[in-house]
Amino acid sequence: MASSSSSGLTFKLHPLVIVNISDHYTRVKSQSLSPHSASASASAADASSLPPPPPPRVFGCVIGVQRGRTVEIFNSFELLYDPSTHSLDRAFLEKKQELYKKVFPHFYILGWYSTGSDAQESDMIIHKALMDINESPVYVLLNPSINPAQKDLPITIYESELHVIDGIPQLIFVRSSYTIETVEAERISVDHVAHLKPSDGGSAATQLAAHLTGIHSAIKMLNSRIRVLHHYLLAMQKGDIPCENSLLRQVSSLLRRLPAIESEKFQDDFLMEYNDTLLITYLAMFTNCSSTMNELVDKFNAAYDRQGRRGGRTAFI
Amino acid sequence: MDIEQKQAEHIDYFVKQASNLKGTALSTVIVEATSHPSLFAFSEIIAASNVLELEGTENSASLDLLRMFAYGTWSEYKSAADRLPQLVPDQVLKLKQLTVLTLAETNKVLPYDLLMQELDVTNVRELEDFLINDCMYVGIVRGKLDQLRRCFEVQFAAGRDLRPGQLGSMIQTLANWLSTSENLLVSIQEKIKWADTMSEIDKKHKKEVDERVEEVKKTLSLKKPGRLVDQ
Repeated sequence: MASSSSSGLTFKLHPLVIVNISDHYTRVKSQSLSPHSASASASAADASSLPPPPPPRVFGCVIGVQRGRTVEIFNSFELLYDPSTHSLDRAFLEKKQELYKKVFPHFYILGWYSTGSDAQESDMIIHKALMDINESPVYVLLNPSINPAQKDLPITIYESELHVIDGIPQLIFVRSSYTIETVEAERISVDHVAHLKPSDGGSAATQLAAHLTGIHSAIKMLNSRIRVLHHYLLAMQKGDIPCENSLLRQVSSLLRRLPAIESEKFQDDFLMEYNDTLLITYLAMFTNCSSTMNELVDKFNAAYDRQGRRGGRTAFI
Repeated sequence: MDIEQKQAEHIDYFVKQASNLKGTALSTVIVEATSHPSLFAFSEIIAASNVLELEGTENSASLDLLRMFAYGTWSEYKSAADRLPQLVPDQVLKLKQLTVLTLAETNKVLPYDLLMQELDVTNVRELEDFLINDCMYVGIVRGKLDQLRRCFEVQFAAGRDLRPGQLGSMIQTLANWLSTSENLLVSIQEKIKWADTMSEIDKKHKKEVDERVEEVKKTLSLKKPGRLVDQ
């Protein structure tokens, strides 16, 4: 159903949309799961291996701007889906569209989104229904299954194209490529969320490794820039490049800031903080050890107490 | 770096003026350039051919003065004052500002005593006023004044004109910086590997401990239940 070709439009997706879709899906999933999990625990003893119910599909609209051949998707909102008629709630959509138009006058409805692993036949019905708002809507699909081995975003953007299949012109979904575009505010929030990450295997070692990797890449960038400056100055010295005094002055003022953390005061403060941290860690470890020791002693007493009572001997400790 | 931008147009202006005039008119241009409140860079003017021609003529004192402004300090001026023309107060101020820049080249922390000696200023109040009004507000230095320790910590100082020999030392400093950062990169990578190996060892250890606990639990439950009821 989905071959990969594109009609020449470039798509730009903002992280806000991805976060919105994923939030919608998570909310609906957790709300529908809680009555189920209560009953599941009650029936756990039956060993009835019911497969978990298929995760609910959520639907909504994406809005954004289309300039020429570039389609930029900025925001999204949710819609109610009627599974019986396979259609979206039209009145709600129009009302929401009006409200969003007031706040963002430049944004148009560019398409719709849903969750799932692949595009399905019934999606085409919704797609066609949206075609009267936008003659070529886009379909954004989020794959909610978490695959830790997967490196890319589980998002696919489909367009509809008229292909002739078996002599009948049909609309089918074709996959398009997209890029991610961020506004400064989005970049900050994504950065923030990425650092809060330790969800799977967030042991101290992986956090440390992640932190160190961040520092490593920052220093690598600094390194490459210093190298450029170094080459430039060398070339200037050899005479390949005419001396540009203003640049030389800037470089000299930069180099003068250099031994940035050499002063004695820094060493004092640094060592003090270092010692404080070590001391606290030591104390914490100490407390941990003594409590474990205490438990061990209690267990020992509990295990060997009987003989003590009989022979009149006191407990071990 | 904004100093450079502010100076760029002044430099262009003076270079144009210098290339158009000769002789005594040139020395007036030089005096004007050295008293200009936002101009701190003189190597472009020195490089202008008409200025270099002044060498050896009766106006060579102006060239020396220009060179003094480009590379020297207030104390150097005082020791050579007989050879050089008199300075108007603007030029005195400028030379003192440039002196502060030179001092900031070598140390990051400048004690008040050193500054007072170099700048011919007698009390701390005047020194601080000079530093605040004439250096920091102009934007050529940025730093903190520490009154208790009587020193001035420089965080940023604009660059002065380079003497021909200084290029080599700058390249050396850059090379050192480069090698330090490369070493740092290597040691960070080692640390990352170390953290990973330690967590691997830890996980293995935990697994072993868990396995042994399981074993002991199994062997305990296999023992005769009568043993536990030891009355």
